[in-house]
Amino acid sequence: MTNEVNKGGGGRLFASDIDWWTVGIYVLMVFFGWLNIYAAVYNEEQAGIFDLSQRYGMQMLWIGIGFFLAISILLIDGKYWHMLAYPFYFAMLGVMLFVLLFGREINGAKAWLVVGPVQIQPAEFMKFVTALALARYMSAYNFDLHSGRALYYIGLIIGIPVLLILAQNDTGSALVFAAFFLMLYREGFGSGLYVVVLMLIFLFIISFLLEPLPILFIVLLLCLTAQGAVNRNWRDTLRYFALVLLLGIVLFVALTFLGTTVSLYHAMLGGVALSVPWLVRYAVRRHVPNLWQFALLFAGAVLFTGVVDYVFNNVLQVHQQKRILDLLGIENDPHGWSYNVIQSKIAIGSGGFLGKGFLGGTQTRFSFVPEQSTDFIFCTVGEEWGFVGSLGVVLLFLFLILRLMRMGERQKEPFGRIYCYSVAAIFFMHFVINIGMTVGLFPVVGIPLPFFSYGGSSLMAFTILLFVAVRIDASQYDESARKLL
Amino acid sequence: MKTVYNRQKILQICLFLVVFVIIGRLFWLQVIDSDYKDFARNNAMRYMVQYPPRGEVYDRNGEFLVQSTESYDLMVIPRDVEPFDTVDLANTLGVTAEEIRKALDKARRYSKRRPSMIFKQLSKEVKLKLDERHPVGFYTQYRTSRTYPRKIAGNLLGYINEVDEATIKRDPYYRMGDYIGKSGIEKSYEKYLRGRKGVKVELVDVYGMPQGSYADGRYDTLPVPGRAITCTIDAGLQQLAEELMAGKVGSVVAIEPATGEILVMASSPSYDPDKLVGRDLGNNYMELLRNRRHPLFNRAVMSRYPPGSTFKVVNGLIGMQEGVTLPGDLHPCHNGYTIGRGVKCHSHLSPLNLVQATANSCNAYFCYVLRDILDNRAYGGITRGGFDRWREYVKSFGFGRKLESDFWDELAGYVPTSEFYDRRYRGSWNSLTVISLAIGQGELGVTPLQLANLGATIANRGYYYIPHVVKKIAGLDSIDARFYEKNYTQVDPKHFEPIVEGMYQAVNVAGTATRFAVPGLDICGKTGTAQNPNGADHSTFLCFAPRDNPKIVVSVYVEHGRFGATAAAPIASLLVEQYLTDTIRRPEMMQQIKEMNIAYPMYDKRGK
Repeated sequence: MTNEVNKGGGGRLFASDIDWWTVGIYVLMVFFGWLNIYAAVYNEEQAGIFDLSQRYGMQMLWIGIGFFLAISILLIDGKYWHMLAYPFYFAMLGVMLFVLLFGREINGAKAWLVVGPVQIQPAEFMKFVTALALARYMSAYNFDLHSGRALYYIGLIIGIPVLLILAQNDTGSALVFAAFFLMLYREGFGSGLYVVVLMLIFLFIISFLLEPLPILFIVLLLCLTAQGAVNRNWRDTLRYFALVLLLGIVLFVALTFLGTTVSLYHAMLGGVALSVPWLVRYAVRRHVPNLWQFALLFAGAVLFTGVVDYVFNNVLQVHQQKRILDLLGIENDPHGWSYNVIQSKIAIGSGGFLGKGFLGGTQTRFSFVPEQSTDFIFCTVGEEWGFVGSLGVVLLFLFLILRLMRMGERQKEPFGRIYCYSVAAIFFMHFVINIGMTVGLFPVVGIPLPFFSYGGSSLMAFTILLFVAVRIDASQYDESARKLL
Repeated sequence: MKTVYNRQKILQICLFLVVFVIIGRLFWLQVIDSDYKDFARNNAMRYMVQYPPRGEVYDRNGEFLVQSTESYDLMVIPRDVEPFDTVDLANTLGVTAEEIRKALDKARRYSKRRPSMIFKQLSKEVKLKLDERHPVGFYTQYRTSRTYPRKIAGNLLGYINEVDEATIKRDPYYRMGDYIGKSGIEKSYEKYLRGRKGVKVELVDVYGMPQGSYADGRYDTLPVPGRAITCTIDAGLQQLAEELMAGKVGSVVAIEPATGEILVMASSPSYDPDKLVGRDLGNNYMELLRNRRHPLFNRAVMSRYPPGSTFKVVNGLIGMQEGVTLPGDLHPCHNGYTIGRGVKCHSHLSPLNLVQATANSCNAYFCYVLRDILDNRAYGGITRGGFDRWREYVKSFGFGRKLESDFWDELAGYVPTSEFYDRRYRGSWNSLTVISLAIGQGELGVTPLQLANLGATIANRGYYYIPHVVKKIAGLDSIDARFYEKNYTQVDPKHFEPIVEGMYQAVNVAGTATRFAVPGLDICGKTGTAQNPNGADHSTFLCFAPRDNPKIVVSVYVEHGRFGATAAAPIASLLVEQYLTDTIRRPEMMQQIKEMNIAYPMYDKRGK
């Protein structure tokens, strides 16, 4: 442990320790992003790239500051971050509270701190400090992820910032905090929860897209498949399915003959209900005790879709209903809510395979897409650089995230691993939500595309986020190398 | 740590899945689905049509017949309109505020975003005034409109109007609001006159404001001005013809026989072509359409008149070619042809030879000639080839078919077929049944143009050039090749001299039109008095002059003008005199003809 070799103190940085791949991707992204901002706000009259009255000029300035920050972070000993995690976290909470009370409202979100000419969005930095705080908390010696206490504190560390951000009316940024669940999954959080959440989302979506009868069959088949997979009794499962169908049809035909009208959906539900005695008999005879769980799962799923329907029709306001229908592609209002998405898809789609060339995008230059230099910057990429450029950007993000995951995996200390995974997850969320919304796969949620979107706060925040990970990784590498000596 | 290792893999798989979905979506949007490219084009590009000036039309001496003048259409984009002073705009345009409101409503109903034309053909002065006021949402678009300095030859020149739906469907060149020639030269030579529209691709931003040209104008095209057309019309002569035809219904066609160029084509009543221009076009057009004398009907090429006695020369020529008539053959006339139902004739010397018969327009003589042709045994008599042979001769003179002139609305006229008579007389007919064909009556229908062409054929002694109205198209070396070809009839040129002599005598020695001889001009002519079921006889006159190396052929047809010598002959004579000597030495005759008004109860009896 003693290290005579280390004369400059514990924080000595070796160039070979830095993950240059990540740094390279970062530089590439920042400059390509700048080019697109330039294109998005370009007009013939003002063409000087350092013109600070233009967004590309400002962004250039931010990039400069970002580089300075990155180098500074690399020069500071990585261990400090462990130490500074809580102070930073609480300080930022204070700032957030301050913004909530005294901040300025821009685009409906009271999320901006104005200092002279500079507008800062503290929520961007909140992700960073939350990641730090989580890493610190979860890397403690006596930490046990499955204890109630741990859950409680993790909930607090994530929940307080989320509540503050929601109070600022900045839904997009709050949504990004869901990223930490990906990190938690990696850390061993119960996987059942994720399955349930995914299933609920799935049920929610199909309850709008499909008629009740197909939903019933889908849920039934899913439950039966799950049951079959767990108990490995495929033949009996198939028999049971046939029995339910038979009962349902018999019920339907019988009731129709008796003169009462009944829908096929209800007849099938009745068929399922009538099949319960057989099910019980089967469970008892074959000693399959978990059957009731699947029965419950089925009942719960059917009930859930019913509840969603009921809530949608009786609880939600008309405009909320519209928004949901619009998200799911059931209804379209080209001039209202979906205008952004339509214009965004037009811009990207018109790019074709090779794009229209730098500064050649018509949709880009004539501001058909609102917020083009910020949240919809990917439209410029899509229009001017085409599929090739879009693919390039997507792959850059893929590499960055994979790289961060790999960095996390090679950490000896949980602190570094947790932090790197948090960073990877945050980038993943931003990447998926932002690009997803520009191509119409995701509802329009106003969050930036890291390193591409215009904005000092987000560029600074992402730079810090990334380079702290790089620095922690480097020092960890450095230390372990020294440990080996 | 097997589970953690698994979890890392699961996360990676999820990441790859998501990335795969996004890439798939991008591939779909950008490479496969082409809709978005069209949307983008519609979004950001506005195709501004650049209208070329329409070609101008000159007469044969380089005088303007049709001029193109600058005019402007007022366009509106309803979405962009900001509140403006309606009354002021109305005053500027010279319309009522109500009309503006209506036009705006209509434009709004059509499209809020797309430009609509609300007032058309505004003068340059109005345009300048509009530019000063510059109401937001309105703009003016350059167009050309037509003016007619001489105000003559309405039917000949034709008019232009906006294209109709059917044409737009048929011809992709035209777009809503384009002008197209609707009749006359404007229609026949539309392809040359219209030029080519240019297009300026303008980029517009999300507010529809122009943002400069697309790709530095790489895809713009300049409008190509329409080609100027020099037509064969002699404006002065045309004007004189129209003046002489005033008060009469009929038509005058004059041709230069050596080229087939049409010097005059007047259809009477005519109209002021300036009336079919601009904002009042619709109303004026309806008015002309309602006029019972049908001024929009180009009689020169469309009407089907019985040719009357002028047609006798055709029969004479066929007879000589067939060898059944010799110039010296004498035939008696007993105040008519007495065989069968008989054909009456006026009193003159008898018997006559071919030359005298032509000069005196003897009905009986040509009845003998026709029967000799039709009943020629060499061909087995009339029903077995004799008639059809005669018909072939007649067709070779340009009758019963279109002459293929450059008039789109030229009609074929009618020469009956043997089948026609078979049907009508149930197969039982002979040369006496159709004897009226001998004197240009019966079922014959010819246009004044065809008559003039007959004149040109005689003047040329045996051939004609297809009559045409255009002499030169600017930028082209020549007009269509068919106008340079000699078209021979089936009658040998050597047979024409007796007919020429007869026509010469008719005017200059002792005949039907001696009153209209002009010393030194050697006019050769043939009068015609065509009976018709509608009223008084039609008066026709066909002449050419001078006898040798003729310069002009004139065919005049005055509906219900009685004898050929009453109305048609003096008109033709005056025109020949004017054309060959450039002066009129018979002002009193001209005055009398100009003032001659013929009553047309058949046209006028109902309504106006």
